[in-house]
Amino acid sequence: MTAKKKRTPQVQSDSWVVIAADPVMDAQTHGSDPTFVRLRNPSTDAGSLYMLSSGDVQLYEAKAFEEEFHSWFVGQTVQRDGRLLFITQMDPLYLILPYLIKSGIEGKFQPVNQVVMDEEFPACSRLLSCTRSLGSLHHVAEEKEVGNRKFHRYSEEKTLSWLKKKVERTVAALKKRNISVGEGVKSTTYIRVKTESDHNEEDYLRYAHGLISEYISEDLSKALHKHLELPEITSPKETEPPSKKRKLSDKPVEAGEDYTKFNSADFVRKSAKKMTAAQKSLAKVDKTGMKPMSSFFSPKVKTEKQ
Amino acid sequence: MDLSPFEADNSVSCRLKSQIPDICRTEDCCLGIDEAGRGPVLGPMVYGICFCPISRKEELKDLKVADSKTLTEAEREALFEKLDEAKSYVGWALQVLSPNTISNSMLQRTKYNLNALSHDTAIGLVQHALDCGVQLKEVFVDTVGPADKYEDKLSKIFPGIAVTVRPKADSLFPIVSAASICAKVARDFAVKHWRFGEDLGEVDADYGSGYPSDPKTKAWLLRYLDPVFGYPQLVRFSWSTAQTLMDSRGVTVHWDDDDDDEDGEKAAQRRNNRSMLSYFSAAAGGGSQSGSNQTHRFFSDRKLKSLDTL
Repeated sequence: MTAKKKRTPQVQSDSWVVIAADPVMDAQTHGSDPTFVRLRNPSTDAGSLYMLSSGDVQLYEAKAFEEEFHSWFVGQTVQRDGRLLFITQMDPLYLILPYLIKSGIEGKFQPVNQVVMDEEFPACSRLLSCTRSLGSLHHVAEEKEVGNRKFHRYSEEKTLSWLKKKVERTVAALKKRNISVGEGVKSTTYIRVKTESDHNEEDYLRYAHGLISEYISEDLSKALHKHLELPEITSPKETEPPSKKRKLSDKPVEAGEDYTKFNSADFVRKSAKKMTAAQKSLAKVDKTGMKPMSSFFSPKVKTEKQ
Repeated sequence: MDLSPFEADNSVSCRLKSQIPDICRTEDCCLGIDEAGRGPVLGPMVYGICFCPISRKEELKDLKVADSKTLTEAEREALFEKLDEAKSYVGWALQVLSPNTISNSMLQRTKYNLNALSHDTAIGLVQHALDCGVQLKEVFVDTVGPADKYEDKLSKIFPGIAVTVRPKADSLFPIVSAASICAKVARDFAVKHWRFGEDLGEVDADYGSGYPSDPKTKAWLLRYLDPVFGYPQLVRFSWSTAQTLMDSRGVTVHWDDDDDDEDGEKAAQRRNNRSMLSYFSAAAGGGSQSGSNQTHRFFSDRKLKSLDTL
């Protein structure tokens, strides 16, 4: 457990604009109001805001739509921050998983309530009261029952196949919602004549993997990438020419060719066989006193000062 | 004067018109254009046209129409009545540009200045007369901006019509004087009987002339400044008088295009743009920031963020 205790300043605001499904606010069934809780975000390892419904039955994540230059008119008041909070249902297993993984290093079967503990985020034990939590642990851990007590041990193999199913479901959802997964921007108002069949399965898988990776650790994301047999996006090797077709991905685009080789000293420019008329006339220009183009890019050499 | 079509919705521009005298459809006509209420920070700007057969131009003089500024309000109203009664050969039309229209034009993202708005309104009114079948041969205009340029512009738009743009046209040509009377009467009426769309309770209607220099107008502007909304729609928000007061006494409001006229470098800095040069320097600050710190583009495209606290 981390010993450091970070205190985040509580910014007080009187109200928020929230979109949430009806059951979130359904306080009658379990007596208490739904509450915002700070829990460890499995992806960033830092605190994030979640919501537990009345009686801790259901877990929700809170996301904020936040853009510059927005404000709300709420009834007869103005709210300066134009944020829109979304409270959406979430599988508590994602948040339990990091604790299982951590204890899994010891390789022992342990009671889950001893595993899911966090000094920094004490509310994490409440995750176990969610209806889905205990029942779905078998997706990511091996179970043993001794007497009346259940013991669990993290299993990466199980976890990966569970995550794979999640990815597949996400792919299905992406297709259903017509979400653009390829590279580039697409206008939603632009109507295509042809139905879009040109998005290949790999684009969808990659996109869904990226989305699921928002809910798991980086290491697990890498393992899942391998498990899904997604080809690595590699920079082209020196020997083979870069493929003409660009890879579609959500990773930053890398330069296809290495232009730096032209800067090296042993690179000798071959004289062109034929020059155009324009090139010829340019070649005749008096170049005395002109700096070569490359000098503008190289760092200045400090010789005088030292 | 019946301004009820404008009063029904005084947030938009509105056109009022007389019937077209039959004689104007058959005989060659002249037309005068003038405006009222260009300078005030309050109320609408009104554009007026007046037209009659060229042959009966002189009869207007007999009505004693003169530059509206030399007349008292009562005299103007009486003259307008006379003009309206002369409907057998005099026609008129008005374009009432609400203060809201003026504000929105001048403050919109692609600025539409008062001169352009004035020109377009004048052109629209002349076109209206033509569309109604008035046999226009001569047009007289009081100038807005440089006279020769304006004259050129109008001549090109209306070939076959002799366009004369002159400063002080309203005292030179009776038909322009007539137009100026129509415009001025409408403007005064609109300001006097302004129906506030806002729920302000009992409004003190003593806002003076509406000109920024009028102390009464200034006092009124100070009194009716709402820190959030600024002013009722009677006020032209684009006037610097109104803007200065809102800047100093109202809540600061930031708009997306606030920096559009700020110089490029400053704007770029505010938007956190990276300098072009930074792309050339060797791996600044350890290089790759990619990986877990970057949110997936599904979220970043939709401007969705996880929350740390409320």
